[in-house]
Amino acid sequence: MAHAPVAARPRVGVVKFASCDGCQLTLLDLEDELLSVVDHFDIVDFPEATSARSAGPYDVLFVEGSVSEPAHLERIVELRRRTRFLVTIGACATAGGIQALRNWGDHDAFRLGVYSHPEWVASLARSTPISEHVTVDAELRGCPIDPGQLVELLTALTTGRRPQLRDEAVCMECKRRGVVCVMVSKGIPCLGQVTQTGCGAICPRFGRGCYGCFGPREQANAAGLTRHLQMAGDRPREEIGRLFAGFTAYSEPFRSMVTELGGARSGRGTTTTTAEPTPRGGTR
Amino acid sequence: MSHGTAPAKAADDRLYEVHELTRVEGEGSLRLRVKDGEVVEARLGIFEAPRYFEQLVVGRTPDEVVDMVARICGICPVAYQMSAVHGFEELFGVRIDPQTRALRRLLYCGEWIESHALHIYLLHAPDFLGYESGIAMAADHRPLVEQALRMKKAGNHLIKILGGRPIHPVSVRVGGWSRVPRVSELKEHRAALEEGLAFALETAKLVAGFTMPAFAREPRLVSLRHAAEYPFNDGRIVSSDGVDLPPSGWRDAFEEFQVEGSNALHARSLDGKGVYLLGPAARVVLAGEQLHPLAKEALAASGYAEMIRTNIYASIVARAVELIHAFAEAIDIIDAYRAPSEPLVAWQSRPGVAAWATEAPRGLLFHRYEVDESGRIRTAQIVPPTSQNQAAIEADLVVAAKQVLDLPHAEATHRLEQMIRSYDPCISCATHFLDLRVEEA
Amino acid sequence: MVISVSRSPRGNRPNIEGPGFLARADLQVLFDLLREDGRLLIGPTVADGSIVYDEITSVDELPRGWGDEQAPGRYRLRRRGDERLFGYVVGPTAWKKWTFPALIPLTRSTHDGRKVTFEPEQAIPPKLAFLGARACEIAALGIQDRVLIGTEFIDPDYMVRRANVFVVAVQCTTSASTCFCTSMGTGPEVTGGFDLSLTELDAGFLVDAGTPAGHAVLERLPLRAATAAEQYGVAATVAAVRARIGDPVPTDGIHDRLLAQLDHPRWAQVAERCITCGNCTLACPTCFCTTVTQTTDLTGTSAVAKRTWDSCFSPGFAKVAGGSFRARPRDRYRQWLTHKFATWFDQFGTSGCVGCGRCITWCPVGIDVRDELNAIAPPVPLSPESRLVEPVAATPNDFVTARVVNTKAETSDTTTLTLTGVDPAFSHGSTGQFAMVALPGFPPLPISISRFLADGIELTIRGAGPATKAMCALQVGDQVGLRGPLGNNWPLDRAVGRDLVIVTGGIGLAPLRPVLHAIIADRRRFGDVKLFYGARTPADMLYRDELERWGKRDGIDVSLTVDRAGPDWAGPVGIVTHLFDQAAWDGSNMIAFVCGPERMMQATSTTLAGRGVSASRIHVTLERHMECGIGLCGHCQMGKYFVCRDGPVFSIAQLGDTFGREGI
Repeated sequence: MAHAPVAARPRVGVVKFASCDGCQLTLLDLEDELLSVVDHFDIVDFPEATSARSAGPYDVLFVEGSVSEPAHLERIVELRRRTRFLVTIGACATAGGIQALRNWGDHDAFRLGVYSHPEWVASLARSTPISEHVTVDAELRGCPIDPGQLVELLTALTTGRRPQLRDEAVCMECKRRGVVCVMVSKGIPCLGQVTQTGCGAICPRFGRGCYGCFGPREQANAAGLTRHLQMAGDRPREEIGRLFAGFTAYSEPFRSMVTELGGARSGRGTTTTTAEPTPRGGTR
Repeated sequence: MSHGTAPAKAADDRLYEVHELTRVEGEGSLRLRVKDGEVVEARLGIFEAPRYFEQLVVGRTPDEVVDMVARICGICPVAYQMSAVHGFEELFGVRIDPQTRALRRLLYCGEWIESHALHIYLLHAPDFLGYESGIAMAADHRPLVEQALRMKKAGNHLIKILGGRPIHPVSVRVGGWSRVPRVSELKEHRAALEEGLAFALETAKLVAGFTMPAFAREPRLVSLRHAAEYPFNDGRIVSSDGVDLPPSGWRDAFEEFQVEGSNALHARSLDGKGVYLLGPAARVVLAGEQLHPLAKEALAASGYAEMIRTNIYASIVARAVELIHAFAEAIDIIDAYRAPSEPLVAWQSRPGVAAWATEAPRGLLFHRYEVDESGRIRTAQIVPPTSQNQAAIEADLVVAAKQVLDLPHAEATHRLEQMIRSYDPCISCATHFLDLRVEEA
Repeated sequence: MVISVSRSPRGNRPNIEGPGFLARADLQVLFDLLREDGRLLIGPTVADGSIVYDEITSVDELPRGWGDEQAPGRYRLRRRGDERLFGYVVGPTAWKKWTFPALIPLTRSTHDGRKVTFEPEQAIPPKLAFLGARACEIAALGIQDRVLIGTEFIDPDYMVRRANVFVVAVQCTTSASTCFCTSMGTGPEVTGGFDLSLTELDAGFLVDAGTPAGHAVLERLPLRAATAAEQYGVAATVAAVRARIGDPVPTDGIHDRLLAQLDHPRWAQVAERCITCGNCTLACPTCFCTTVTQTTDLTGTSAVAKRTWDSCFSPGFAKVAGGSFRARPRDRYRQWLTHKFATWFDQFGTSGCVGCGRCITWCPVGIDVRDELNAIAPPVPLSPESRLVEPVAATPNDFVTARVVNTKAETSDTTTLTLTGVDPAFSHGSTGQFAMVALPGFPPLPISISRFLADGIELTIRGAGPATKAMCALQVGDQVGLRGPLGNNWPLDRAVGRDLVIVTGGIGLAPLRPVLHAIIADRRRFGDVKLFYGARTPADMLYRDELERWGKRDGIDVSLTVDRAGPDWAGPVGIVTHLFDQAAWDGSNMIAFVCGPERMMQATSTTLAGRGVSASRIHVTLERHMECGIGLCGHCQMGKYFVCRDGPVFSIAQLGDTFGREGI
């Protein structure tokens, strides 16, 4: 990973794949810092914010969204070629996003469920993170990313140091802030122990269990947590599986848990409900 | 990669093309072909990749749905959570505390503020003032842009206080809130909202002073309308020409359909009365009676009260008026706030259909879920405002085409792009939109 | 209910001897006084389903009527059904939140071209009062004092914050199932480290001051003298708490025991459960590991370094460029446990754990550190089993029989009988236990078991009266009746890793002989042994050949003395205490077992205490008139104890001032 400042006033691009836009919006939501950021970074391509366009090359490219359709495959490779320092932002880009739940499914069944003419729909069988296709220099996790971590990355780029993105559990942040553990005091299942910190422990602060939107942390012991939830809470396997089947379901070890326990639909004929896909409407 | 410069085939043959629209949310394109002075093709293309939300939620529980559907859109996650949560509560017979409901309206105020401020200053005003971005605008108008960012922050911070973070807040649950704020937390934010209100009033004056491009088409307007409040979470679905349905009754008047040769699911009225428009312009016209007095005053003073019906570019004024309303209502809610005695009520699921419409910043957003015997989702239908507005956009492109033919090509293309921007389209919301490859006729 | 004498809170109060009593209604006066002194009050209050420490101003914010239920991975509040303000134990917050905050700025630095500047942050913390510090928490403050301001490098931030704290201790009147302060020697009694201490009774609070600052506040409180009944009530409550907690983790020798088990298979097992989430370390009141983060602005010309809590459980904690030194979860769990319970001693002279139980309650998967310690480094089992066996024939009317297979005349009046055919329970008895020995027609007598064999026991009996003479006259093949093994044992598990001093005389060596056997059988576990044995004459010494063999062993010193020497005696003459009363030992790590006449045991205990041996580590075995051996005949009572059932082995600390007191 590059540590030296990438350029005096780095040329920055912001691009989008399959996503909701929330992570690039986080950049525009740096209300206090935005104009200062613009002083230090030359934003050459950011379609949402500016009509000024550039096809590169980029010193820094922020990539939001997962690879989800055929055109993406070529596009990401081409963008990587034109970029010195590629940063993926958000759960879609770093983990495949919530849309990666379709990866457990029968892709055709999914398309049929939505479109009466699925043959007109171009999408890939799986939604995958950017890192499955090109090398990624840094990643900001989260759904959406945390503005503080974004600022940290930006200041690290201008200073030339490694961004400080901690690899510890959300639990650490809860304890630092004096948030009372929802699992211990209320029996609410919480993925915080196996999820990477970065959000500031929002969900426990707001009275609910973490749902893992920052993705599994290093050496996450998802199996150990699963055993505990099964024994202590007497929970059915599928319920625990759905806990992992969230916004970062496709990252290991959450992925294995979902596969083992269930929690993501696996397509027509194998769901827990008897859903018949009902296409709607006719054609124009 | 931006503006095409296709040479005219004959004097009145034009092709206006923008491969990737800018300063809109999401990825869209514009293609307008004129042959012999007649529009032969007007397309808003949206090449947003499909994410299949309506399938992803099948088999999940209502609270999981509330978390998941927020991810349809990063600018309006609250709208998705609201349409879902109210639909489920209606089906399950859940009665929430009035203060709980007030907090939901407050959350919606936050989202409208953030979304409208973003649109007005960062996405749309640059067109009127001749800049390629709000950032470029800041070079000449730094205090204005800084104030706009502060105003946007006031909306974002409100969502953060209530929901933990401005994008994909965490505390909205079926039955209420996983946590409600202390009175002091809201009171601490009141000063920023007062400042925002003052700036919103100035904003209304500012945008009313913009030179509006000439444009006239009177679409059918559709929005929610409520007897006692400006429509956010609740209201009857009404139109400018007689539709009047409960918020769950969208399918009685409208339907979605797939367009041949494209992957966009459009929407149309069942009664065949043509394209319809959702959003601030529709709301201000249909539900304007419930606007806060300050907003009503600003609308009257703007001189655009009538033109909002027919000139889509003037929707920026409607948004500024709604900005005033959102700030004023937020302050009123905070002044009356006392923490609800039961922030989260217990509930039992019931099988059946959960359907509801609420007003996202961009217009009416309809959700419909079939819930099965075990409390899981069996089917889902999510109809975002932008997918419903698509037909109106394309109809407007046809009208706009006539008005730009005399302009230089680049300026004409820019004018068309700006017209699309006036809709403040939220393209990521369009869950089924895909790249459009239109076969030439 | 005692009516307190009303007086103005600021008026001079008459000199009260002993602890004062503050009426319940007057507790707010204490709050107000502390706030008038400019202190921010931090105390317990209910929030988010638990009792946390937070800023409070009024007694009404205390958790009135609330109690807590704690178990591994589980914390619940419950209604007590009374009006108690402190009827719970510790919650998730530790006082270190204020003395050692989770995030503080450390250094501001600037970078201007080539020039750099560094400016340390100076904290100006407010004056605080901690209201409700428990004994374990006070011990934790003491531990952090040692770590952070007790070595040659001090933490200036901690020093300043710590100096600004006024500690109002609260005596625990209940315990949670996760408490183990008793095992760590930190509670439940509040014994020091406070400015004021409060103990809650129904009518109010017993108040005591521990420092001049505390006295200065105490004098302004509307107190009256506490009555004896109130003081007794406190003592009784605290004793009940201690009894309730018991001794879940025997910790004597834990340092060596734990460090000897670095390859125990249990580490891998606990790592399968452990999520390495770090909750235990951040909930712990003594953990002090931190990390520093840098916050810069976009220009990169100025930066603030901040210190934040870190945990050895995080994968990055031990990382360097080449990788992590503790890459596996099991390595990190082992690091934490061995640091907390073993190497902390080497670093700072005490254990790092105060037994507050937070790491147990707030572990989301419910790992109980007590179970892990007991599994990985169990207390030394007394050979062969650690638990006292169920005695046989333990009713007043029954005996089992055994057969004599050997007799040995130790001295002119003392015989050792070897018995076999005994119930297996006897073979599994523990050193120091005794049997009731019966011959038909004679009163049954308590005789110490002087040896444990695979299939029997030995009894060494001095023929002092008709019954004992009859026993001494038994021949091989004769039978005898037994009840037992009875009583408690010499606490050899507390001797692990320590030096032992054994002082005895005459027949008193009989109950101590099995101790020597046990130590020799497991020699490496114990330190040096000094045996001091006195007899009237050389001919009156028991087990002479064994004494000689023992003395030849490494680390075992046998010193003998007699009252009257004969022509063949070249050794010391005099009472046994003379053998060591001038010795230059440091007894602070020693444990002593003493057996002999009570006067001899008293004198020995006094001398040993003078050598620095702690009262809880001097053990004596008492002899009283026993008839049943099972606590039903009432004869052997001494003070509150039944010597046959609660003894015969006691520590001097247990006996208190009943030991040696005339007429008890």
